[in-house]
Parts: sequence; structure tokens; C-alpha cells
Amino acid sequence: MTKGSEPQETIYEHLRSKGVSRRDFVKYCGALAGTMAFCGVPAPVEASGLPASLAGPQADATPLIVRAFETKPRVPVIWLEFQDCAGCTEALTRSQSPTLGDLVLNEISIDYHETLFAAAGFQAEENRDAMMQKYHGQYVLVVEGSIPVADGGIHCTIGGRTALDLLEEAAEGAAAIISTGNCSSFGGLPKADPNPTEAKGVWEIITDKPVVNIPGCPAIPEVTTAVLLQFIVFGTLPELDDLNRPKTFYGQTIHDRCLRRPFYEAGKFAKSFDDEGARKGWCLYKLGCKGPTTYNACATIKWDAGLSFPIQSGHPCLGCSQPNFWDGGGFYQGQSAPLNRPGAAAVGVAAAAGAVVGAGAATANRMKKRRAGSAEPGDEDA
Amino acid sequence: MDWNATLEFARGPFFTAALFVFVGGLTYRLVRVLTLGWSRDRVPSAGSKAGGVAKSYGKGLIIWPFVPWVKQTFAGNAVTLIAGGIFHLGLFAIIIFGAPHMLAWKSMLGFGWPTLPLPIIDWLAAAAIAAMVALAINRVANPLLRKLSGPAEALNWLFVFLPMLTGYMTTHHLLFRYEVIYSLHVLAVDVMLIWIPFSRISHFVFYFFSRTIHGAQFGKRAVTP
Repeated sequence: MTKGSEPQETIYEHLRSKGVSRRDFVKYCGALAGTMAFCGVPAPVEASGLPASLAGPQADATPLIVRAFETKPRVPVIWLEFQDCAGCTEALTRSQSPTLGDLVLNEISIDYHETLFAAAGFQAEENRDAMMQKYHGQYVLVVEGSIPVADGGIHCTIGGRTALDLLEEAAEGAAAIISTGNCSSFGGLPKADPNPTEAKGVWEIITDKPVVNIPGCPAIPEVTTAVLLQFIVFGTLPELDDLNRPKTFYGQTIHDRCLRRPFYEAGKFAKSFDDEGARKGWCLYKLGCKGPTTYNACATIKWDAGLSFPIQSGHPCLGCSQPNFWDGGGFYQGQSAPLNRPGAAAVGVAAAAGAVVGAGAATANRMKKRRAGSAEPGDEDA
Repeated sequence: MDWNATLEFARGPFFTAALFVFVGGLTYRLVRVLTLGWSRDRVPSAGSKAGGVAKSYGKGLIIWPFVPWVKQTFAGNAVTLIAGGIFHLGLFAIIIFGAPHMLAWKSMLGFGWPTLPLPIIDWLAAAAIAAMVALAINRVANPLLRKLSGPAEALNWLFVFLPMLTGYMTTHHLLFRYEVIYSLHVLAVDVMLIWIPFSRISHFVFYFFSRTIHGAQFGKRAVTP
């Protein structure tokens, strides 16, 4: 994908060389500002090499984007896949605003991506190594999939090298790291109990670089493209929450913005999938919805160009943007339920233990009574 | 603080441990009381012991509390009767017929049942919480109750009040992020489960034993040796 496109060339120059007029370019920047919902321009912008005069809460973001694209080269991106299903890549190809096509053709230059790459084998590996060397300290590293660390990391190897080794090497020269999907953010499915490979998220391994987590299963594609765009335009990463997720997209729960929320408040719940209540839009809490504790933007951005999202389609939220969501109780079990159903045998053992201790206490009491010689008539009959 | 991990801990291992302490603790108390010793019944009863038990439950649980002038329950301390009644009614309605609680029961028992609409549960919860506050004030204000109350009574009140307050706040997403207040609610419930067997809150089990035995004694018609 990098053939014939030198990242040193600015984005504007790149677009001009493809025949985009100045007028269309500015319109495109305006459209981007709109689709990315830039309300004002967060200060400071100096970090991005742009004049401070363009910043401020009331500032129009379009000139800033124009200036950024005029002065900056396309950002080289290296995309690594480890213990994953390529679902986040599949989702990204369906990003609508901007589309992956726009992003790749205009703003970024994906220099290594195992799923999207036409090249394979040593040729691809060599290209990756060359890009990492050439753009050392400048490229964005996107990671999809968890990293196994058990047994020296041998449970996931690519080209004879472990995922751990590949990640550490690529992270060393990265300007920023984006973990896309729950697996690379928090370990995801591979980390589910009993976690045989000791799968970890990127931020548990790489601690000396900024890591943005974009969890989800898959991650919402527009969030990934938005974070990449912010990095291109402002040269910064978005404000993050305590789990390193962008606050803009992970600041509210699914429940907070859910279209079925009024029915939760009214106590109207669907009792089974696709029953009358579910079709009327009633709350899916009793079907195991994890919306109240799940932070993500599904209910607002939705999927497939805002067509729908799981809850709208009648399926409860699984909580896929939260850590350890595979071990967070059954998907269709009420969220208020205990995580593990205590077995009858275990409860029986607890009761038996109580009975034994109780009987022991009773025996001790009787012996005490006997020793004191104050046993009343009839007591011995008990 | 990682509230997701706290919630997992509260719903997972801590709840399991609390449940075991609850079951084991109550069994211990029960076995200990039952093995204290029974007097031999030397004289056959001319009356019906079972009838005495039925009468005892009927009067004590169903009739007397709702007839204010009998036994001066109302005149003695109206707050105890009214607020105590509202509290118990609200508590049991919420624990059994609140949707989230039914789901918790369902996950453990394997079957569920219909639940009450949230607005009804909500009013019962608010009334129960207000009743608990009234009971606390009454306990402090009433000189007799004050004399009867020690630190254990304060803790009993606290360990029941906290789950109720945090439960109400969880339902309405008040003040805290949901996972924070929900964690606090489950933690409070776990602590209460551990506390129950070793406190007077265990009356919800032992009440029935003591009333049964008293009822049987009331029903007995014979010379007591």
C-alpha cells in the first residue's frame, strides 16, 4: 500500500497529486470536522505544530484540519495481529465516517497489515522491518489480538518469532500505540478462564509508551478512525479514562444512552427473545443485558452507518468493552446474579461444617455443666 | 480504584464466601440451640399442641399487629409497630419481587417468578428506608429503647440500612457511577450475610422456631411438673 506514496509528502500534496482540487480539499476537511463532531478545538494545539490562534472552545475546526493536512505527511501505520479473529479489521473495513478507503487513500499509510496486505511471507516481514526503521519514532502501531506470555510466549508465533517479541520490537519505535478490540486491550476471549496462554493486553506489557485502548468485540470502527484522525490533526491522543479508553466514546454507559432505557425506568422488561415486549422495545435487563456497567458508544454511533446496534436489534449487551467480560457471569444471566452459582454440595459442606461446630459447642457446654455438677434433672435425657 | 475488579470480587469470591458463612453460621447457631437440651414431656397434653402453634402464628403474625388496641402494641410505641411493619413489608417485597433480586434468586435456584413493576418496588423501598430512619430516631429518642440498645443494635441497623440505601441509589443511578454504587451495594449485602448469623437479625430464622415452641406450650393442656 505504500508503493508510490512517500509519507514525507504532505496529505494535501498527496491529494493534489490525485487530482483533488483546493475547493474539494477544504470541503473534505469541513466534512471531516463535522463527522468527527469537533466542537471547538481543544487547546493546546502547539503539540501538533499548529498555531495557537486556531485553538479555543469556539474555534472552527476546519481551518485546523486544513492546516494540519497541508503541513503533515500521511501517518505511517503498522498493524499487528496476534491472538485475534481479525474481526476488528473486518469492522474497520465497514467504517463509514471516514471510510477505511478514505483513511488509507488520504490520511494514513498502512505499511503492514497481515489481513489487508497482498504481500505475504518474508516479503511482508521485510517491508515491515524497513518501515519500522525508516519511520522510527513516527509511526502509529495498531495492535489487534492479545499477547500470550506463558512459556516464553510460544503460543503465538509469526514467522518464527513470538507475539511478545514482535510487539516489543514494534512498540519501541512507535509514536503511539492503539489497541483495537477487547483482546489487545484487556486480553479478551484468549484471557478467559483458565487463560492457558496467559494472554495479556498491550498496556499490561508496554508501559513506557502511550497506549489507547479501544475495546469492543469488535471495536467500533469509527472510534478507531477518530483516534487516528485526532493523532493526525492534533498530533495528540484523546483524553483517556482510567482504563485508557477515549473519554469521548467511553464516557457513558450503554444503559445511559439506550433507546430502551425508559422501559427500564418503567419496569417493563422483555421476558424472552423476540417476545411481544422485546418487539415493543422493552428493556432487555432480564435477558442478561450488561448495559448498565458497559462503557461504549454503541447506542450513539451504532453500527453499519448508524443502522442499528445489538440492543436495538433485540439482543442484550454482552459488555464486550469491559475487562474480563467473558468471565463476567453468563451472557444471558441477569447482571444482578452472583458470578458463580454456588453448588448444592458446597452449600451442604458449609451447613455440615456449621452443624459440626454447633454440636462441638453443645458437647463442650454439657461437659462444662457436668463438671460444675449443676446438671438439672431431665437434662441427661436430652 | 478499579471498580470493575471490585464488582467482580463482590459478586464472585466474596459473595460465595459470605454465603458459606451465612449458611454455616446459621446452622451452627441452630444446632447449638437445639442441642441445649429438652425437658422430658412427662404428662400427656389434653389440648392440641399443633392448634396452639397455629393460633400462635395466626395471632402473633396476622392479627395482633393489625389490631392497634390489643396488648397496647400501638399505644405502647406506635413508631415501632408502624415503621417496623412498613420496613418488614418493604424489605421482603423488594428482596423477593424486585426484578434484579429475582434474577439473583433465579441464578441460584434455577427458577424464577413474576416481579412487581419498578414504581411499586420503588415506593416500597422508599417507605422502608424512611421507616428505618424513623426506627433509628425512635431508638435514640425513646428512653426505654435507648437503655436496651448497645453497639450491636447500631451495627444491626447499619448493616441492613446500607444495602437498602445503596440498592435504592443503584436503581436510580444516584451520585456515583453505576459500577461504583452497584459494587457498594453488593459489598454491603455480602457483609450483611456474614453478620446475620451472629446477630439478632438471625431472628428471621429463629423467630419461627421460638414461636413454634411457644405455640406448642400454649396449646398444651396438662399439669406442668
